[in-house]
Amino acid sequence: MFESFLQQVDLFFTAFNQQLYFSNIVILAFATLLGIMVGAIPGLTATMALALLINLSYGMELNLAITFLLGVYVGAIMGGCYSAIMINIPGTPAAAATALDGFPLAKRGEGGLAIGTGVIASFFGMLISIACLIFITPFIYKIALKFGQWEYFLLALFGVMICGNLSTGKDPIKGWVVGFIGFFTAMIGLDKVYAYPRFTFGLLQLKGGISLIPALIGVFGISEILIVLEKEVPYQILGKITRIIPSWKDILSLLPISIRSGIIGVGIGAVPGAGEDVAAWVAYDVGKRSSKQGEKFGTGCLEGVAAAETANNACIGGAMIPLLTLAVPGSPPAAMFLAAIWLHGIQPGPMLPIEHPGFLYEVAIALILATFFILVWGLILAKPMATILKLRREILMPIILPLTVIGAYASGVRIFDVKVTFFFGILGYILRKLEYPMAPLVLGIILGPLADISFRQALMQSRGSLIPLLQRPLGLILLAAIILIAYSGIKRTVQYTKEHLQIDISK
Amino acid sequence: MLETDEKIAGADLIAGIFLVIFGFLVIITSLNMKVYKTFLDAPGFFPFILGIIFLILGSIMIVTSLKRRGYEQIKVLVKNFKITNIRQSVQFRRVIILISLMVVYIFGLIGRINFALATFLYLFFTLYYLKSARMIKIIIISFIASWAISAFFTGFFKVPLP
Repeated sequence: MFESFLQQVDLFFTAFNQQLYFSNIVILAFATLLGIMVGAIPGLTATMALALLINLSYGMELNLAITFLLGVYVGAIMGGCYSAIMINIPGTPAAAATALDGFPLAKRGEGGLAIGTGVIASFFGMLISIACLIFITPFIYKIALKFGQWEYFLLALFGVMICGNLSTGKDPIKGWVVGFIGFFTAMIGLDKVYAYPRFTFGLLQLKGGISLIPALIGVFGISEILIVLEKEVPYQILGKITRIIPSWKDILSLLPISIRSGIIGVGIGAVPGAGEDVAAWVAYDVGKRSSKQGEKFGTGCLEGVAAAETANNACIGGAMIPLLTLAVPGSPPAAMFLAAIWLHGIQPGPMLPIEHPGFLYEVAIALILATFFILVWGLILAKPMATILKLRREILMPIILPLTVIGAYASGVRIFDVKVTFFFGILGYILRKLEYPMAPLVLGIILGPLADISFRQALMQSRGSLIPLLQRPLGLILLAAIILIAYSGIKRTVQYTKEHLQIDISK
Repeated sequence: MLETDEKIAGADLIAGIFLVIFGFLVIITSLNMKVYKTFLDAPGFFPFILGIIFLILGSIMIVTSLKRRGYEQIKVLVKNFKITNIRQSVQFRRVIILISLMVVYIFGLIGRINFALATFLYLFFTLYYLKSARMIKIIIISFIASWAISAFFTGFFKVPLP
């Protein structure tokens, strides 16, 4: 055991030395800066940025690609707090909870302090999540090694169902519908076992299936463009930024809520597809209930900003845990990162520590360095950010479309992929207008092939019998979790329907 | 006038019906797929299961949306439907025009003319429609953006352009 520990320490320092190359540091500095600006501008999201950058990272060395993408990811999640605080429009969905207290603080002239608190809270959240990533992941690898076909199938089903449950407020059925549509999308093309064409309708281009990256770019890129541009939403940047860095007394008083929010963020991040916005809201809600100043939440309370910002950044490390151990992304931006490392031939899962022993530590070191960069950039950019936020979305958003075209085309060098992107963009827009969440769709497309092959192989091995599943403890745990999620989801749907009936009766 | 929640109930009813029809079509298509050894490992097996799931979820959506008065809401919407209302809806018009501009760009220009030129035309007409800036500024932004994007991606990232 001691030798194994020494081996891990050796891998950690090897990864550390690799990341300290000048090119890595420069790329990371640039990436976090780019990420912060993307995150700060309403309409540009972390998921969109990563979706557009995936194919561009293909030409980079693996190490540089990981550094670049993680830098953008970390920066974008932190960057959302600027616009949430200054103009009451979250730069990314992850910063929606930050606006509740950040904007009132800005209105009373304490916007700088709110930003400083948000940046430091993000920094702290990242450190907690990286520590969890390093220490928890090896244990999950050991559990994942025991997974068989049944477990993989149930894991895919669990992922889509819990994502559907968590990403819809009122009606989980909608989340599940979208998740299974994602599964169906993954079925289009040649079957992985017999190469039989499924749902291709004679179209040659469909035999290759629906490529993941163009679909992601459409759902998170083009649909976002339409959502942002459909209405003119003028906004005004409030007040001047004065004091930014909170006092030591303030920082220490925020420590308990930050630690709690960090752990919540890691936990939610580890749940497939839940995402940074869910983490922020849950941490905010828990913080409000347990704080002595709970009644001040929503009126301009630094604790509210700290809770949301710690959790949304802590979610990043948490999302990496299922991604690296089971190839199940913990959040939509993590799904983009998964697509990127697939492009580089890395197969996350229980075999990853054997095939690429230091990969976990390369990711962890990149995250650590990105964390320090967001602290530095975050505080430096507080005052100049007002100028960047003045960029009109009516100019910026149309410019995103050509980037989506390039991103989609670069994946397979096919015009067909550009058309797929457009189709998913329109589908994504319509679904969002009808209050369907997008995260389960993405997860369904990613996990669909796993669910399909695992289920068929599991049934073949057991000759159609479900009895072998009943003899597998891990499988039973997942099955019980799925049943619980289905029960709670249907219960919420029934409750939502009853609430509407009562409103109608009272009218 | 219907509240947003009520309108969504009507939309959910229509979506539920489509989902049930879609589920049936998926089941029929998957049952017609070739079976190599047994149905359990056939290409059509998992889509068959998905078709059943769509039927179940679609049925639940139909029942819950009917309970939320989805059918009455559709009747109200159809009764009050006027083409002029839609044409007068600023948001609807804006979205249709933006989508049309995207369609012309992606299906009409991309792959047929130079990417930078296609992008310039798309940006010019879109920024002009959105009244993003004055005409001179629109021309300059469209030109610089289309040129910069093309040069940056081909020169720096070595990415092929359509």
